Amino acid sequence: MRIQSDPEAMERDLSRLVLTLVELVRQLVERQALRRMEQSDLTDDQIETLGLTLMKLEEAMTEVCERFGLSPSDLNLDLGPLGTLLPES
Amino acid sequence: MSDTGTYLYAVTGETSSASPEGLVGVAGTAVRTIPCAGLVAYVSTVPLDEFGAEPLRRSMENLEWLGETAGAHHNVVEEVAEERPTAPVRLVTVYRGDESVRKLLRERHDDFLDVLAQIAGRREWGVKAYIDLAAADSGAAAPSAGGPGTAYLKKRQAGLRSREEAWRSAAARAEQLHDTLSSVAVASHRHRAQDPELSGRKEPMILNGAYLVERDRREEFTRVVEELRGEGVDVELTGPWAPYSFTDLEVRGDG
Repeated sequence: MRIQSDPEAMERDLSRLVLTLVELVRQLVERQALRRMEQSDLTDDQIETLGLTLMKLEEAMTEVCERFGLSPSDLNLDLGPLGTLLPES
Repeated sequence: MSDTGTYLYAVTGETSSASPEGLVGVAGTAVRTIPCAGLVAYVSTVPLDEFGAEPLRRSMENLEWLGETAGAHHNVVEEVAEERPTAPVRLVTVYRGDESVRKLLRERHDDFLDVLAQIAGRREWGVKAYIDLAAADSGAAAPSAGGPGTAYLKKRQAGLRSREEAWRSAAARAEQLHDTLSSVAVASHRHRAQDPELSGRKEPMILNGAYLVERDRREEFTRVVEELRGEGVDVELTGPWAPYSFTDLEVRGDG
């Protein structure tokens, strides 16, 4: 992703960057929730609440992405030798 | 300092028929030989305003120039390697002049002889293997008690697990492919797997191997490659190549 000096492109790239970070955090929280679920750290009610929240967040992400004309693969930063920021889907 | 340099393509042992007549190298230059110390270097005289260190730094970013130059370089190496054991030298290895090349041949004489003995009568084959992860991804989660939120998390968990498992089995599969291929080869080398942008294929590459194979085991090797295909794995065979992966003597130009 390159941030260009043209204002419109810049706005688009910034939105993309922000959405990328939100998606990264969402996936991290989801992994953490799964780990705690596997360790039986959570009650059934907590699991249900977490699951619902994460599910709604994912739906919201999909919606926002559609509005900006972005696909999930657009939300992935290529970190060169480190690979990509998010796991390839 | 003169305004031409000596571009080195490859080094071979001395042979009686070492004249590269009509062979055209990089930038349309004629290829000639420099015999020294029982070895023969295949070289061209190149203009330093194109092949000097500074212009090269710029030219290397010009994909069209790079493509043409690499094509010409490989063509020379392949032509030479067709007839005799050949140690190819990396792209754009440029020396100040013929004397620098002679010095290289004298100083690295034993290294070159070792490498040439190792590759005599053998050729390099490239094998790339790709795995279709979608074929392995079942993604079927067990129906669970609890509400939609729990079901969502369970589904994600199953998805992650099956992906991890798919990767683990892909790595094991790559290991097994490499072992099988190596058993038919004299020497083998695993390069870093290329990412999809470079390989031009959507499926992840699990093996990027180079194998040095005796000329008379060529058919056996090809057959082994054929047999490795299947179960979601596609295997690509390229070659025979000049033995680029087995002749790295770290020869660097001084131009």
